[in-house]
Amino acid sequence: MKLSTQFDKRGFVVTGEVGPGKGADASDALRGAALMAQSVDAVNVTDNQSAVMRLGSLAVSHLIKQQGIESVFQLTCRDRNRIALQSDLLSAAALGIENVLCITGDHTVLGDHPEAKKVFDLDSVQLLAAAKGLSEGRDLAGHEIEPVPDLCLGAVVNPGSDDLELQLIKMEKKVDAGAEFFQTQAVFDPRQFESFMEKARRLRVPVMVGIVPLKSAGMADYMNNNIAGVRVPDKLIDRLKGTEKGDRKKVSIEIAADLARAVKGMCEGVHLMPLGWDDVVPQIVEAADLGASR
Amino acid sequence: MHATIQKPLDEILAVLAPGEKVMVVGCGNCAAKAKSGGEPETQAMVERLRARGISVTGWAVPPNGGSLCKLSAVEKLLNEDHGTETEAADSFLVLACGQGVHTVIDARGAQMVHPGCDTIFGGETLNDDLITEYCSLCGECVLESTGGLCPVTLCAKSLLNGPCGGATEGKCEVDPGRDCGWHLIFERMTQLGKADLLLEYQPPKNWLRAGSPRSLVLENKRADFSFADSTVSAWSGSDEPGEGNGEGEIK
Repeated sequence: MKLSTQFDKRGFVVTGEVGPGKGADASDALRGAALMAQSVDAVNVTDNQSAVMRLGSLAVSHLIKQQGIESVFQLTCRDRNRIALQSDLLSAAALGIENVLCITGDHTVLGDHPEAKKVFDLDSVQLLAAAKGLSEGRDLAGHEIEPVPDLCLGAVVNPGSDDLELQLIKMEKKVDAGAEFFQTQAVFDPRQFESFMEKARRLRVPVMVGIVPLKSAGMADYMNNNIAGVRVPDKLIDRLKGTEKGDRKKVSIEIAADLARAVKGMCEGVHLMPLGWDDVVPQIVEAADLGASR
Repeated sequence: MHATIQKPLDEILAVLAPGEKVMVVGCGNCAAKAKSGGEPETQAMVERLRARGISVTGWAVPPNGGSLCKLSAVEKLLNEDHGTETEAADSFLVLACGQGVHTVIDARGAQMVHPGCDTIFGGETLNDDLITEYCSLCGECVLESTGGLCPVTLCAKSLLNGPCGGATEGKCEVDPGRDCGWHLIFERMTQLGKADLLLEYQPPKNWLRAGSPRSLVLENKRADFSFADSTVSAWSGSDEPGEGNGEGEIK
Protein backbone atom coordinates (compact mmCIF):
# COMPACT_ATOMS: atom_id res chain seq x y z
CA MET A 1 0.00 0.00 0.00
CA LYS A 2 1.21 3.49 -0.76
CA LEU A 3 2.33 5.46 2.26
CA SER A 4 0.18 8.36 1.07
CA THR A 5 -2.87 6.08 1.46
CA GLN A 6 -1.67 5.06 4.94
CA PHE A 7 -1.34 8.71 5.97
CA ASP A 8 -4.88 9.32 4.73
CA LYS A 9 -6.28 6.24 6.46
CA ARG A 10 -4.49 6.30 9.79
CA GLY A 11 -2.95 9.74 10.07
CA PHE A 12 0.20 8.26 11.58
CA VAL A 13 2.73 6.00 9.87
CA VAL A 14 5.70 4.06 11.21
CA THR A 15 8.50 2.77 9.01
CA GLY A 16 11.73 0.92 9.58
CA GLU A 17 14.84 0.57 7.50
CA VAL A 18 17.19 -2.19 6.39
CA GLY A 19 20.52 -1.87 4.62
CA PRO A 20 21.43 -4.55 2.07
CA GLY A 21 24.77 -6.23 2.65
CA LYS A 22 27.87 -6.60 0.54
CA GLY A 23 27.10 -9.84 -1.16
CA ALA A 24 24.81 -11.60 -3.61
CA ASP A 25 22.26 -12.60 -1.01
CA ALA A 26 19.40 -10.65 0.57
CA SER A 27 18.73 -12.96 3.49
CA ASP A 28 20.04 -10.60 6.19
CA ALA A 29 17.94 -7.71 4.91
CA LEU A 30 14.91 -9.98 4.56
CA ARG A 31 15.40 -11.27 8.11
CA GLY A 32 15.60 -7.68 9.33
CA ALA A 33 12.47 -6.73 7.45
CA ALA A 34 10.61 -9.75 8.84
CA LEU A 35 11.66 -8.85 12.41
CA MET A 36 10.06 -5.42 12.15
CA ALA A 37 7.20 -6.28 9.79
CA GLN A 38 4.50 -6.58 12.43
CA SER A 39 5.39 -3.23 13.98
CA VAL A 40 5.78 -0.99 10.97
CA ASP A 41 3.77 0.06 7.93
CA ALA A 42 6.71 -0.27 5.55
CA VAL A 43 10.42 -0.98 5.43
CA ASN A 44 12.86 1.36 3.68
CA VAL A 45 15.70 -0.23 1.72
CA THR A 46 18.81 1.94 1.53
CA ASP A 47 20.55 2.51 -1.80
CA ASN A 48 24.28 1.80 -1.55
CA GLN A 49 24.19 3.66 1.75
CA SER A 50 27.21 5.80 2.64
CA ALA A 51 28.26 5.39 -1.00
CA VAL A 52 29.47 1.87 -0.19
CA MET A 53 28.78 -0.62 -3.00
CA ARG A 54 26.27 -3.26 -1.91
CA LEU A 55 23.37 -5.38 -3.03
CA GLY A 56 20.89 -3.12 -4.79
CA SER A 57 17.90 -1.43 -3.20
CA LEU A 58 15.56 -2.20 -6.09
CA ALA A 59 16.15 -5.95 -5.85
CA VAL A 60 15.80 -6.01 -2.06
CA SER A 61 12.71 -3.75 -2.11
CA HIS A 62 11.16 -6.24 -4.50
CA LEU A 63 12.13 -9.28 -2.44
CA ILE A 64 10.72 -7.68 0.71
CA LYS A 65 7.49 -6.91 -1.10
CA GLN A 66 7.34 -10.56 -2.21
CA GLN A 67 7.35 -11.51 1.48
CA GLY A 68 4.16 -9.50 1.87
CA ILE A 69 5.92 -6.59 3.58
CA GLU A 70 5.44 -3.08 2.22
CA SER A 71 8.72 -1.54 1.06
CA VAL A 72 10.08 1.94 0.39
CA PHE A 73 12.62 1.85 -2.43
CA GLN A 74 15.37 4.40 -1.81
CA LEU A 75 16.68 5.82 -5.06
CA THR A 76 19.73 8.11 -5.12
CA CYS A 77 20.98 10.41 -7.85
CA ARG A 78 24.61 9.55 -7.19
CA ASP A 79 25.00 6.49 -9.40
CA ARG A 80 22.45 6.88 -12.19
CA ASN A 81 21.85 9.37 -14.96
CA ARG A 82 18.33 10.45 -15.93
CA ILE A 83 17.90 7.43 -18.21
CA ALA A 84 18.73 4.96 -15.46
CA LEU A 85 16.73 6.85 -12.80
CA GLN A 86 13.56 6.91 -14.89
CA SER A 87 14.11 3.32 -15.97
CA ASP A 88 14.48 2.22 -12.34
CA LEU A 89 11.25 4.06 -11.46
CA LEU A 90 9.46 2.11 -14.19
CA SER A 91 11.14 -1.10 -13.03
CA ALA A 92 10.05 -0.46 -9.45
CA ALA A 93 6.45 0.03 -10.54
CA ALA A 94 6.60 -3.05 -12.77
CA LEU A 95 7.81 -5.08 -9.78
CA GLY A 96 4.85 -3.89 -7.72
CA ILE A 97 6.82 -1.47 -5.53
CA GLU A 98 4.59 1.44 -4.50
CA ASN A 99 6.84 3.79 -2.53
CA VAL A 100 10.03 5.50 -3.64
CA LEU A 101 12.23 7.77 -1.57
CA CYS A 102 13.97 10.19 -3.95
CA ILE A 103 17.29 11.35 -2.53
CA THR A 104 20.57 12.90 -3.61
CA GLY A 105 22.82 10.26 -2.03
CA ASP A 106 26.08 10.57 -0.12
CA HIS A 107 29.05 11.72 -2.16
CA THR A 108 31.19 9.00 -3.75
CA VAL A 109 34.25 10.38 -1.93
CA LEU A 110 32.74 9.22 1.39
CA GLY A 111 32.29 5.62 0.27
CA ASP A 112 34.41 2.62 -0.63
CA HIS A 113 34.88 3.50 -4.32
CA PRO A 114 35.99 7.14 -3.96
CA GLU A 115 37.51 7.20 -7.44
CA ALA A 116 34.17 6.36 -9.11
CA LYS A 117 32.68 8.93 -11.46
CA LYS A 118 29.90 10.66 -9.54
CA VAL A 119 26.76 11.13 -11.59
CA PHE A 120 24.25 13.57 -10.02
CA ASP A 121 22.78 14.15 -13.49
CA LEU A 122 19.56 15.08 -11.68
CA ASP A 123 19.25 16.44 -8.17
CA SER A 124 16.60 15.18 -5.76
CA VAL A 125 14.11 17.92 -6.73
CA GLN A 126 14.52 17.12 -10.41
CA LEU A 127 14.21 13.40 -9.66
CA LEU A 128 10.89 14.01 -7.90
CA ALA A 129 9.72 16.10 -10.86
CA ALA A 130 10.81 13.36 -13.27
CA ALA A 131 8.97 10.71 -11.23
CA LYS A 132 5.85 12.84 -11.12
CA GLY A 133 6.15 13.39 -14.86
CA LEU A 134 6.26 9.63 -15.45
CA SER A 135 3.12 9.19 -13.36
CA GLU A 136 1.46 11.80 -15.57
CA GLY A 137 2.50 9.97 -18.71
CA ARG A 138 5.62 11.82 -19.86
CA ASP A 139 9.30 11.15 -19.42
CA LEU A 140 11.88 13.95 -19.11
CA ALA A 141 12.27 14.06 -22.88
CA GLY A 142 8.53 14.55 -23.27
CA HIS A 143 7.92 11.08 -24.64
CA GLU A 144 4.77 9.18 -23.77
CA ILE A 145 4.75 6.55 -21.03
CA GLU A 146 2.17 3.78 -21.17
CA PRO A 147 1.13 2.44 -18.76
CA VAL A 148 2.18 5.02 -16.20
CA PRO A 149 3.82 4.04 -12.89
CA ASP A 150 1.71 4.57 -9.77
CA LEU A 151 4.23 5.47 -7.09
CA CYS A 152 4.06 7.37 -3.83
CA LEU A 153 7.04 9.76 -3.77
CA GLY A 154 8.98 10.52 -0.63
CA ALA A 155 11.81 12.90 0.11
CA VAL A 156 14.17 13.78 2.95
CA VAL A 157 14.97 16.89 4.95
CA ASN A 158 17.54 17.67 7.63
CA PRO A 159 15.86 19.53 10.53
CA GLY A 160 19.19 20.01 12.31
CA SER A 161 20.88 21.75 9.41
CA ASP A 162 22.78 24.94 10.23
CA ASP A 163 21.27 26.40 7.06
CA LEU A 164 17.70 25.59 8.07
CA GLU A 165 16.18 28.36 5.96
CA LEU A 166 17.88 26.92 2.91
CA GLN A 167 16.72 23.40 3.85
CA LEU A 168 13.16 24.71 4.04
CA ILE A 169 13.48 26.36 0.62
CA LYS A 170 14.57 23.03 -0.82
CA MET A 171 11.84 21.20 1.09
CA GLU A 172 9.25 23.51 -0.46
CA LYS A 173 10.71 22.85 -3.91
CA LYS A 174 10.44 19.12 -3.24
CA VAL A 175 6.78 19.48 -2.27
CA ASP A 176 6.12 21.50 -5.42
CA ALA A 177 7.97 18.86 -7.48
CA GLY A 178 5.80 16.04 -6.15
CA ALA A 179 6.99 14.86 -2.72
CA GLU A 180 4.08 13.32 -0.82
CA PHE A 181 5.88 12.68 2.46
CA PHE A 182 9.18 13.45 4.17
CA GLN A 183 11.55 11.43 6.30
CA THR A 184 13.99 13.43 8.39
CA GLN A 185 17.62 12.99 9.27
CA ALA A 186 18.08 11.53 12.75
CA VAL A 187 16.57 13.77 15.44
CA PHE A 188 17.76 13.72 19.06
CA ASP A 189 16.51 17.06 20.31
CA PRO A 190 12.69 17.33 20.53
CA ARG A 191 12.80 21.12 20.93
CA GLN A 192 14.90 21.56 17.82
CA PHE A 193 12.48 19.31 15.93
CA GLU A 194 9.51 21.25 17.26
CA SER A 195 10.90 24.55 15.98
CA PHE A 196 11.60 22.90 12.62
CA MET A 197 8.03 21.60 12.43
CA GLU A 198 6.66 25.05 13.26
CA LYS A 199 8.30 26.26 10.07
CA ALA A 200 7.64 23.15 7.97
CA ARG A 201 3.97 22.71 8.86
CA ARG A 202 2.80 25.38 6.42
CA LEU A 203 3.94 23.07 3.59
CA ARG A 204 1.10 20.71 4.55
CA VAL A 205 2.98 17.52 3.83
CA PRO A 206 3.32 14.53 6.19
CA VAL A 207 6.66 14.48 8.02
CA MET A 208 8.09 11.33 9.57
CA VAL A 209 10.65 12.05 12.24
CA GLY A 210 13.88 10.07 11.82
CA ILE A 211 15.01 8.18 14.89
CA VAL A 212 18.26 6.25 15.18
CA PRO A 213 18.59 3.97 18.21
CA LEU A 214 21.97 4.75 19.78
CA LYS A 215 24.06 1.60 20.16
CA SER A 216 26.87 3.09 22.24
CA ALA A 217 28.49 6.30 23.41
CA GLY A 218 31.12 5.79 20.70
CA MET A 219 28.45 5.72 18.03
CA ALA A 220 26.92 8.91 19.43
CA ASP A 221 30.32 10.62 19.37
CA TYR A 222 30.85 9.42 15.81
CA MET A 223 27.51 10.82 14.71
CA ASN A 224 28.21 14.15 16.39
CA ASN A 225 31.54 14.42 14.62
CA ASN A 226 30.56 13.07 11.21
CA ILE A 227 26.87 13.46 10.46
CA ALA A 228 25.77 16.92 9.44
CA GLY A 229 22.97 18.41 11.49
CA VAL A 230 23.01 15.61 14.05
CA ARG A 231 23.70 16.54 17.66
CA VAL A 232 23.32 13.83 20.28
CA PRO A 233 22.92 15.64 23.64
CA ASP A 234 25.63 15.03 26.25
CA LYS A 235 23.15 13.64 28.76
CA LEU A 236 22.29 10.78 26.37
CA ILE A 237 25.99 10.09 25.78
CA ASP A 238 26.61 10.07 29.53
CA ARG A 239 23.72 7.66 30.02
CA LEU A 240 25.17 5.32 27.40
CA LYS A 241 28.63 5.59 28.96
CA GLY A 242 27.24 4.48 32.29
CA THR A 243 25.51 1.46 30.75
CA GLU A 244 26.99 -2.02 30.97
CA LYS A 245 27.42 -3.78 27.67
CA GLY A 246 24.69 -6.31 28.38
CA ASP A 247 22.13 -3.56 29.01
CA ARG A 248 22.92 -1.46 25.96
CA LYS A 249 20.00 -2.61 23.85
CA LYS A 250 17.58 -2.03 26.68
CA VAL A 251 18.86 1.50 27.23
CA SER A 252 18.96 2.15 23.48
CA ILE A 253 15.31 1.17 23.24
CA GLU A 254 14.42 3.39 26.20
CA ILE A 255 16.20 6.41 24.74
CA ALA A 256 14.62 5.93 21.29
CA ALA A 257 11.17 5.36 22.78
CA ASP A 258 11.45 8.45 25.01
CA LEU A 259 12.35 10.46 21.96
CA ALA A 260 9.54 8.99 19.86
CA ARG A 261 7.03 9.71 22.58
CA ALA A 262 8.25 13.29 22.86
CA VAL A 263 7.96 14.05 19.16
CA LYS A 264 5.18 11.85 17.83
CA GLY A 265 2.54 14.46 18.51
CA MET A 266 4.41 17.02 16.43
CA CYS A 267 4.40 15.11 13.14
CA GLU A 268 2.69 12.42 11.08
CA GLY A 269 5.00 9.48 11.55
CA VAL A 270 8.21 7.94 12.78
CA HIS A 271 10.96 6.49 10.64
CA LEU A 272 13.22 4.16 12.62
CA MET A 273 16.74 3.60 11.35
CA PRO A 274 18.15 0.77 13.49
CA LEU A 275 21.42 0.41 11.50
CA GLY A 276 21.48 -3.36 11.86
CA TRP A 277 19.74 -3.61 15.27
CA ASP A 278 16.55 -4.60 13.48
CA ASP A 279 15.16 -6.46 16.50
CA VAL A 280 14.87 -3.27 18.56
CA VAL A 281 12.28 -1.78 16.18
CA PRO A 282 9.23 -3.66 17.54
CA GLN A 283 10.31 -2.92 21.10
CA ILE A 284 10.67 0.81 20.41
CA VAL A 285 7.29 0.86 18.68
CA GLU A 286 5.72 -0.86 21.66
CA ALA A 287 7.52 1.16 24.33
CA ALA A 288 6.61 4.45 22.63
CA ASP A 289 3.08 3.26 22.03
CA LEU A 290 3.43 4.05 18.33
CA GLY A 291 1.16 1.17 17.41
CA ALA A 292 -1.76 2.87 19.10
CA SER A 293 -0.99 6.03 17.18
CA ARG A 294 -1.28 4.12 13.96
CA MET B 1 42.80 30.22 -17.59
CA HIS B 2 43.62 26.53 -17.71
CA ALA B 3 45.37 25.42 -14.54
CA THR B 4 48.04 22.78 -14.97
CA ILE B 5 50.41 20.93 -12.69
CA GLN B 6 53.64 19.22 -13.72
CA LYS B 7 53.69 15.45 -13.80
CA PRO B 8 56.29 13.82 -11.53
CA LEU B 9 59.72 13.78 -13.21
CA ASP B 10 59.97 9.99 -12.92
CA GLU B 11 56.75 9.68 -14.91
CA ILE B 12 58.19 11.94 -17.63
CA LEU B 13 61.52 10.08 -17.71
CA ALA B 14 59.72 6.74 -17.98
CA VAL B 15 58.15 7.65 -21.32
CA LEU B 16 61.35 8.84 -22.98
CA ALA B 17 63.07 6.15 -25.06
CA PRO B 18 66.83 5.68 -24.78
CA GLY B 19 68.55 8.21 -27.03
CA GLU B 20 65.34 10.13 -27.72
CA LYS B 21 66.07 13.76 -28.51
CA VAL B 22 63.56 16.03 -26.81
CA MET B 23 62.59 19.65 -27.17
CA VAL B 24 60.84 21.24 -24.19
CA VAL B 25 57.97 23.61 -24.98
CA GLY B 26 56.22 25.79 -22.40
CA CYS B 27 53.43 28.38 -22.40
CA GLY B 28 53.79 32.08 -21.64
CA ASN B 29 50.25 32.48 -20.41
CA CYS B 30 48.35 29.96 -18.27
CA ALA B 31 51.17 27.50 -17.59
CA ALA B 32 53.37 30.47 -16.68
CA LYS B 33 50.73 31.63 -14.18
CA ALA B 34 50.43 28.10 -12.84
CA LYS B 35 54.24 27.92 -12.59
CA SER B 36 54.18 24.65 -14.47
CA GLY B 37 55.45 25.75 -17.88
CA GLY B 38 56.59 29.38 -17.95
CA GLU B 39 60.15 30.28 -18.94
CA PRO B 40 61.73 29.51 -15.54
CA GLU B 41 60.03 26.12 -15.27
CA THR B 42 60.79 25.24 -18.88
CA GLN B 43 64.48 26.10 -18.48
CA ALA B 44 64.58 24.20 -15.19
CA MET B 45 63.06 21.15 -16.92
CA VAL B 46 65.80 21.28 -19.57
CA GLU B 47 68.44 21.24 -16.82
CA ARG B 48 66.72 18.48 -14.88
CA LEU B 49 66.46 16.30 -17.98
CA ARG B 50 70.08 16.94 -19.02
CA ALA B 51 71.24 16.13 -15.48
CA ARG B 52 69.69 12.69 -16.01
CA GLY B 53 71.38 12.15 -19.36
CA ILE B 54 68.44 13.06 -21.59
CA SER B 55 69.37 14.69 -24.88
CA VAL B 56 67.54 18.02 -25.08
CA THR B 57 67.72 19.92 -28.38
CA GLY B 58 66.42 23.16 -26.90
CA TRP B 59 63.40 24.88 -25.43
CA ALA B 60 60.79 27.42 -26.45
CA VAL B 61 58.05 29.44 -24.75
CA PRO B 62 55.78 31.88 -26.62
CA PRO B 63 57.17 35.36 -25.78
CA ASN B 64 55.39 38.30 -24.13
CA GLY B 65 52.92 36.17 -22.19
CA GLY B 66 51.78 34.41 -25.36
CA SER B 67 49.65 31.28 -25.16
CA LEU B 68 50.77 27.91 -26.47
CA CYS B 69 47.21 27.24 -27.59
CA LYS B 70 47.32 29.81 -30.39
CA LEU B 71 48.30 27.95 -33.55
CA SER B 72 49.69 30.81 -35.65
CA ALA B 73 52.00 31.88 -32.82
CA VAL B 74 53.18 28.33 -32.19
CA GLU B 75 53.89 27.72 -35.89
CA LYS B 76 56.09 30.79 -35.89
CA LEU B 77 57.68 29.84 -32.56
CA LEU B 78 58.57 26.28 -33.52
CA ASN B 79 59.00 26.45 -37.29
CA GLU B 80 60.76 29.83 -37.57
CA ASP B 81 62.11 31.20 -34.29
CA HIS B 82 63.32 27.80 -33.03
CA GLY B 83 63.44 25.92 -36.35
CA THR B 84 66.85 24.34 -35.74
CA GLU B 85 66.04 22.88 -32.31
CA THR B 86 62.62 21.81 -33.56
CA GLU B 87 64.03 19.95 -36.57
CA ALA B 88 66.64 18.20 -34.45
CA ALA B 89 64.07 16.86 -32.00
CA ASP B 90 62.41 13.43 -32.06
CA SER B 91 59.71 14.64 -29.72
CA PHE B 92 58.31 17.52 -27.68
CA LEU B 93 57.81 17.59 -23.95
CA VAL B 94 54.96 20.05 -23.55
CA LEU B 95 54.68 21.95 -20.28
CA ALA B 96 51.19 23.32 -20.85
CA CYS B 97 47.57 22.22 -20.91
CA GLY B 98 46.11 19.63 -23.27
CA GLN B 99 45.13 22.38 -25.70
CA GLY B 100 48.78 23.38 -25.88
CA VAL B 101 49.80 19.77 -26.54
CA HIS B 102 47.39 19.65 -29.45
CA THR B 103 48.57 23.00 -30.80
CA VAL B 104 52.09 21.54 -30.99
CA ILE B 105 50.68 18.57 -32.92
CA ASP B 106 48.95 20.96 -35.34
CA ALA B 107 52.14 22.99 -35.75
CA ARG B 108 54.47 20.00 -36.18
CA GLY B 109 52.52 17.03 -37.47
CA ALA B 110 54.32 13.70 -37.31
CA GLN B 111 56.52 14.28 -34.28
CA MET B 112 55.77 12.65 -30.93
CA VAL B 113 54.41 14.80 -28.11
CA HIS B 114 54.69 14.00 -24.39
CA PRO B 115 52.40 15.77 -21.93
CA GLY B 116 54.56 17.16 -19.14
CA CYS B 117 51.58 18.41 -17.17
CA ASP B 118 48.16 17.32 -16.04
CA THR B 119 45.46 19.78 -17.04
CA ILE B 120 43.44 20.16 -13.87
CA PHE B 121 40.77 22.88 -14.24
CA GLY B 122 39.81 26.26 -15.60
CA GLY B 123 40.22 28.91 -12.93
CA GLU B 124 40.49 32.47 -11.73
CA THR B 125 43.99 33.73 -10.85
CA LEU B 126 43.24 35.33 -7.50
CA ASN B 127 46.87 36.26 -6.96
CA ASP B 128 50.34 35.02 -7.96
CA ASP B 129 50.00 32.03 -5.64
CA LEU B 130 46.35 31.07 -5.90
CA ILE B 131 44.21 29.80 -8.75
CA THR B 132 40.67 28.67 -7.94
CA GLU B 133 37.99 26.96 -10.00
CA TYR B 134 34.72 28.86 -10.36
CA CYS B 135 33.55 27.51 -13.73
CA SER B 136 33.36 23.96 -15.07
CA LEU B 137 33.07 24.96 -18.76
CA CYS B 138 29.80 23.00 -18.90
CA GLY B 139 28.44 24.88 -21.93
CA GLU B 140 25.20 26.15 -20.36
CA CYS B 141 25.52 28.94 -17.82
CA VAL B 142 23.13 28.82 -14.84
CA LEU B 143 24.70 31.74 -12.99
CA GLU B 144 21.67 34.03 -13.38
CA SER B 145 19.72 32.04 -10.80
CA THR B 146 22.52 31.93 -8.23
CA GLY B 147 23.91 35.44 -8.12
CA GLY B 148 26.87 34.49 -10.29
CA LEU B 149 28.18 31.64 -8.13
CA CYS B 150 28.21 28.36 -10.02
CA PRO B 151 26.50 25.42 -8.28
CA VAL B 152 27.82 23.02 -10.92
CA THR B 153 31.33 23.94 -9.82
CA LEU B 154 31.06 25.04 -6.19
CA CYS B 155 28.73 22.23 -5.02
CA ALA B 156 30.56 18.90 -4.81
CA LYS B 157 27.42 17.22 -6.19
CA SER B 158 26.67 19.96 -8.75
CA LEU B 159 23.14 20.27 -7.36
CA LEU B 160 21.01 22.93 -9.04
CA ASN B 161 18.06 23.22 -6.64
CA GLY B 162 19.72 23.70 -3.30
CA PRO B 163 22.06 21.92 -0.91
CA CYS B 164 22.10 18.31 0.17
CA GLY B 165 21.80 17.72 3.88
CA GLY B 166 25.51 17.12 4.28
CA ALA B 167 26.92 20.54 5.11
CA THR B 168 28.11 21.42 8.62
CA GLU B 169 28.65 25.03 9.64
CA GLY B 170 28.77 26.03 5.99
CA LYS B 171 31.37 23.40 5.10
CA CYS B 172 31.03 20.56 2.60
CA GLU B 173 30.57 16.91 3.63
CA VAL B 174 33.34 15.96 1.19
CA ASP B 175 35.97 18.13 2.85
CA PRO B 176 35.44 20.23 6.00
CA GLY B 177 38.06 22.62 4.61
CA ARG B 178 35.85 23.46 1.67
CA ASP B 179 32.88 25.82 1.69
CA CYS B 180 29.44 24.40 0.89
CA GLY B 181 28.67 25.98 -2.49
CA TRP B 182 25.02 26.38 -1.60
CA HIS B 183 25.91 28.08 1.66
CA LEU B 184 27.90 30.62 -0.38
CA ILE B 185 25.06 31.02 -2.87
CA PHE B 186 22.50 31.54 -0.10
CA GLU B 187 24.71 34.10 1.65
CA ARG B 188 25.23 35.99 -1.60
CA MET B 189 21.56 35.92 -2.62
CA THR B 190 20.59 37.06 0.89
CA GLN B 191 23.12 39.89 0.64
CA LEU B 192 21.64 40.84 -2.74
CA GLY B 193 18.11 40.69 -1.30
CA LYS B 194 17.20 37.94 -3.75
CA ALA B 195 17.06 34.81 -1.58
CA ASP B 196 13.43 34.28 -2.60
CA LEU B 197 14.60 33.57 -6.17
CA LEU B 198 16.14 30.34 -4.87
CA LEU B 199 12.61 28.93 -4.66
CA GLU B 200 12.45 28.83 -8.43
CA TYR B 201 12.71 25.30 -9.84
CA GLN B 202 15.83 24.73 -11.92
CA PRO B 203 15.28 22.06 -14.58
CA PRO B 204 17.82 19.34 -15.41
CA LYS B 205 20.85 20.64 -17.26
CA ASN B 206 21.42 20.11 -20.95
CA TRP B 207 24.62 18.09 -20.71
CA LEU B 208 24.67 17.83 -24.49
CA ARG B 209 26.35 21.21 -24.45
CA ALA B 210 29.16 19.79 -22.32
CA GLY B 211 29.77 16.99 -24.81
CA SER B 212 33.31 16.94 -26.10
CA PRO B 213 34.75 17.63 -28.58
CA ARG B 214 33.21 21.07 -29.02
CA SER B 215 34.10 23.87 -31.42
CA LEU B 216 33.42 27.54 -31.98
CA VAL B 217 33.47 28.95 -35.51
CA LEU B 218 33.69 32.74 -35.73
CA GLU B 219 32.63 34.61 -38.79
CA ASN B 220 32.09 38.38 -38.78
CA LYS B 221 29.60 38.95 -35.97
CA ARG B 222 28.40 35.38 -35.87
CA ALA B 223 29.62 32.58 -33.63
CA ASP B 224 28.68 28.93 -34.22
CA PHE B 225 29.06 26.67 -31.19
CA SER B 226 29.03 23.00 -32.15
CA PHE B 227 28.54 20.12 -29.73
CA ALA B 228 27.42 16.55 -30.28
CA ASP B 229 25.12 16.75 -33.32
CA SER B 230 23.99 20.34 -32.81
CA THR B 231 25.14 23.85 -33.58
CA VAL B 232 23.98 26.97 -31.76
CA SER B 233 24.70 30.38 -33.23
CA ALA B 234 25.03 33.75 -31.58
CA TRP B 235 25.21 37.15 -33.25
CA SER B 236 27.17 39.64 -31.22
CA GLY B 237 26.97 43.28 -32.13
CA SER B 238 23.88 42.90 -34.27
CA ASP B 239 20.29 41.76 -33.94
CA GLU B 240 20.43 39.10 -36.67
CA PRO B 241 18.89 36.72 -37.50
CA GLY B 242 15.88 38.82 -36.61
CA GLU B 243 14.26 36.66 -33.95
CA GLY B 244 15.23 39.14 -31.33
CA ASN B 245 17.46 37.24 -28.95
CA GLY B 246 20.38 36.79 -31.27
CA GLU B 247 20.63 33.04 -30.72
CA GLY B 248 19.20 30.26 -32.81
CA GLU B 249 19.51 26.52 -33.13
CA ILE B 250 20.61 24.99 -36.40
CA LYS B 251 20.15 21.27 -36.67
